[in-house]
Amino acid sequence: MDMPLSLHRGLAGTIVAAALGLWLVAAHAAGVPPAYTPLVVEPTVSEGRSEFDLGPALARAQRENKRLYVYLGASDCPYCRRYENFLRKNADELVPHFRPWIVVDLRSTLATTANRLFIRTGDRSLDYTAFQHSIGDQRTRMLVYPSVWLFDPQLKPLMQMPAGTGTFETVEEQLEILNLVQ
Amino acid sequence: MTASLPRPLPASSRARTRRRLLLGLGALPLASVPAARAAVGGLPSNTGHADVSPEWELLRGRLFGTRPIAAGSGRVQLIAPLRAAYGASVPVKIVSQLAQTPALYVRRLHLLVDKNPSPLAATLELTPEVGQADFETRLRVDEYSHVRVVSELSNGELHMDSRYVKTSGGCSAPPNRDSPELIGRTIFKLPEPATMGAPSTADLTVLHPNDTGFELNNVTVMYIPSFFVRTIAVSYAGRKVFDADLDFSISENPSWRFRFVPHAPGELRAEVVDSKEHRYTGTLQVAVG
Repeated sequence: MDMPLSLHRGLAGTIVAAALGLWLVAAHAAGVPPAYTPLVVEPTVSEGRSEFDLGPALARAQRENKRLYVYLGASDCPYCRRYENFLRKNADELVPHFRPWIVVDLRSTLATTANRLFIRTGDRSLDYTAFQHSIGDQRTRMLVYPSVWLFDPQLKPLMQMPAGTGTFETVEEQLEILNLVQ
Repeated sequence: MTASLPRPLPASSRARTRRRLLLGLGALPLASVPAARAAVGGLPSNTGHADVSPEWELLRGRLFGTRPIAAGSGRVQLIAPLRAAYGASVPVKIVSQLAQTPALYVRRLHLLVDKNPSPLAATLELTPEVGQADFETRLRVDEYSHVRVVSELSNGELHMDSRYVKTSGGCSAPPNRDSPELIGRTIFKLPEPATMGAPSTADLTVLHPNDTGFELNNVTVMYIPSFFVRTIAVSYAGRKVFDADLDFSISENPSWRFRFVPHAPGELRAEVVDSKEHRYTGTLQVAVG
């Protein structure tokens, strides 16, 4: 028996709505969990380059005399989801330790490679490698998602960080990072 | 007919035999594309730098038998970061608290990574010509592991220091392999002018992929065969400074910072052999200030 056209339309509408809902849930799931009150920075995309402006985060860090915990994640990166899930799962325990920090959530994609990713601070916009050189970070050779930087309010790195987050995905190790244990 | 006694193997062959014995101790493959992997959450993080590991207990027996090893005696120090920028390139520094004199000197240094599949990263055979047995290099560290240095003195004493190093990765591209024509280029640099009669610092780099054999080619989905620098012999003005027996636990483009004592202007020379028996040479004329 043929389905009436209106039923077809209704079913299609339901599927589209469900898909949209799933997409929204997935999109919401990506990024630092809200419990950490992250300052989300979306890139300005033009001519194949994605530029993240750290200016507002720096200004706020100086105003509030807080450190910056800058997290670079990609929407399509499984390691990023894993770290974010770790943060989500342990939020009760970790959030109090993040209070001296402003968590900055730079939202990128894996397609944004080192030569396409730019960081802006004030008048200066540098690609990933040049930015790393400018702050004396050893992670110049390749861009790894996710990445974390720790800065003081003057954008001075507080500690050399590893590529990736795999070495601080336990509460104890996350606290090592927040306490700048080297 | 007289039965001939077995001839002793040269040092490098002995080390190679030792390495064959040691290979296979590691349980996991070396980080082939190190930055494309990540440590499993929950790995031991409260391990002390001076702790032993089951792998070390095995290695110790195979390398040194029942000889006593003084840990933390201060004769040798290993400096390594708790977390390096990249697991494929962990900077390590060996500092010897002993001047190299003919009466007593560091005769051999063993550099080990407990959890790597081939844990013995390097064995350095030294002479007093090195002046000061301090070395720096970069290691591949596959997973959370102790890195150790065992210093063997000319009087037979063994001293050890160790550091616990945490590594993992994330999502990224594999190393660049666009310049195969450069493989084997052997480059010396002096960070500062050499000083007559005093330990002077030199940097040696061999451009080489130092492939582990565990790395998957993402295009062919085949493993890239192991291909690494096996030995380096460094001399100054015709006199041996040190010989290094190496493995793929040394990072891509193996580099060494070392000391030597120039007594007159001369030539620093490195003879390099890789696992395909390719031979490379690097030289530098040294003017002494």
